[in-house]
Amino acid sequence: MWNIGTRWLRGRTGGAAGFAASSQEPIGLPLALYAYLHPGLWQAFFEGLGCPVVLSGSTDAAMLERVGLVSETEHCLPAKLLDAHMDALIGRVGRVFVPRILSLKRGYIACPKFGALPDAARARFGDRLAVLSVELDENREPLRTSLVRFARALGASGPAARTASERALAAWADACADDEKETAGAGRRYLLAGHPYLVNEPWFSEPVVRGLTRLGARVERMRFDRAPAPDGPLRWDTSAIMRDTLADLDARRYAGVIQLSSFGCGCDSIAERHFREAARERGLPYMLLRLDEHAGEAGMRTRLEAFVDTIGSRLP
Amino acid sequence: MTALAMQPWGNYAVALAASVECLRVSPWTRRATTPETLRLGVEASPESACLPFKACTGHFIKAAMEGVEYGVMVNSRGTCRLRYYREAHQKILDERGWKLRIFGLGYDGIKPPLIRHFDPDPIPFLQCCARAQQKTLAVDALEREVWRVRAIEANRGDATRAMEACLADLDRARTVREIRACARTFAPRFAAVPTDSRRVPLRVGLVGEATLLRDRFLNHNLEEQLGGLGVEVSNFFLLGDEMRNIFRIGFFSRNSRWTLRRIARPYLDALVGGHALESVAHTLRCAREGFDGIVHVAPIGCMPEVSVRPILQRIARDTGMPTLELSFDEHTSSVGLTTRLEAFTDVLRQRRERRA
Repeated sequence: MWNIGTRWLRGRTGGAAGFAASSQEPIGLPLALYAYLHPGLWQAFFEGLGCPVVLSGSTDAAMLERVGLVSETEHCLPAKLLDAHMDALIGRVGRVFVPRILSLKRGYIACPKFGALPDAARARFGDRLAVLSVELDENREPLRTSLVRFARALGASGPAARTASERALAAWADACADDEKETAGAGRRYLLAGHPYLVNEPWFSEPVVRGLTRLGARVERMRFDRAPAPDGPLRWDTSAIMRDTLADLDARRYAGVIQLSSFGCGCDSIAERHFREAARERGLPYMLLRLDEHAGEAGMRTRLEAFVDTIGSRLP
Repeated sequence: MTALAMQPWGNYAVALAASVECLRVSPWTRRATTPETLRLGVEASPESACLPFKACTGHFIKAAMEGVEYGVMVNSRGTCRLRYYREAHQKILDERGWKLRIFGLGYDGIKPPLIRHFDPDPIPFLQCCARAQQKTLAVDALEREVWRVRAIEANRGDATRAMEACLADLDRARTVREIRACARTFAPRFAAVPTDSRRVPLRVGLVGEATLLRDRFLNHNLEEQLGGLGVEVSNFFLLGDEMRNIFRIGFFSRNSRWTLRRIARPYLDALVGGHALESVAHTLRCAREGFDGIVHVAPIGCMPEVSVRPILQRIARDTGMPTLELSFDEHTSSVGLTTRLEAFTDVLRQRRERRA
């Protein structure tokens, strides 16, 4: 009885009912925002359950144009892009997956925008897309348990749910390991910092990486497969990891830090000071690049050149 | 006497001032942000911080300029940026060489740091809490009277003047008995305000971020502007209800978090943070109770409120109740706001006529 009660309390797998009957119907995965928090995981998870997956495709200029038409104007760009990617899935699939992310690391909390994602998606696209969702809260249960619970709610048997979850977690680990984190070359190494949905989203990071490579620098993207220190000043999970990474940087290995931030990012408006301080304590030059949908490449290239040149003249 | 700066919380400044008497400090507070404090705050704050942050920074800088040694502010443990604001304000003050120490209120053990520092005697402290609570409830009642009368007053400004007189009396009231007696005079005083009984006011709910809902300067006197347009507003941030939620009193009461969560569930099944859940629940409830419209108020870039805007739009679409979304920052123009409010009330009036 208690189990049933807790399951009822915890089992917020909104929109999962009826999945089993139509498990062959493809499910759409928008490749934005939450997709970069667990790269590879959701695709492997649904495919493991025997459900075909349709990806929304990569971000391009057309997608960015769509942002202005379908999304809330005051969101940060990654959150707007999620709406645009979902809009791109309309007509191709009948349902999409949007998780409710409350915490990615135990003891930490996610950005509040992730808490309302499935509800906002239903409000905006509910007429044309069914929204499938699961609540991920590491403070309540580990991701593995959430996945199994979700798979069970979707109608999978116990062993099938466990297999699909394990396969999904393995795919996630592979995606993190395979990820090309550093560009080749012999120049100085720069760390590209920022939330995963900026650093690993090619639309945002590629121009920066290209610009730096052209200047003869090597670029390393920040990794998020570490646990944040328990007593740090920040409680938002990805921000805390970013701050800890900067605080632990080896100043001999890196020439500088380039931080990507999206215009209107609430977390960064508070955390930026901590990032800057952490970099300063390590003796590392730090530059913040704020991105929005109007960002032209010329201005960014000038700033990168100035940053790299200044460091070049400063270091022996 | 040591002074203690408190955030500007609208008419609740009277109640807040009463709450710190037992600490043997003189309260330093304002009913609203002033142009000068906002300017100071904007200069000192990070550009992308929200408007309440900038206003509060300015408020504490101004307090420090006037020689105030201590400050107190609300800080939460939620997902919103407010969680970090006390430290951020303190850092800004320290960097600029101001000697003002800010205490955070709440969620820090049984004794908040403020109480630990001043260590008041328990009996005066409890008496003081009782007075502050009574004053908060009195201000809640006063607010409700003003919203009602302002929409139908015959001479513009009468209701506001009556409110000021009531607040002055309330400020002078010292004991719980005096406060209660004072609160009982509110209804007759407002009944004496000449009204135009032919007017049928529009009913509009104000939902959104708490500081903007309360600070008359930051929201460009939204309540009065709407009242002047013949609208009876209901501002859904009342400190009495908020305190009950903070101390988990009245689980099943009308505005308890539990009740609101149940109301919001068809559209929002999470707490999100800040007052986002309240915004959604009150909007739904207003639609059910036949309000003419909703005004959603938030600072530009407010993380919780912006995340629920698509939901509010959906509720507006599903229920047919018009919603006006207002975002504020330091550049918001009063004239632009007035035009939008006039247009909105015109729409509401026409809608009502069409329905009749």
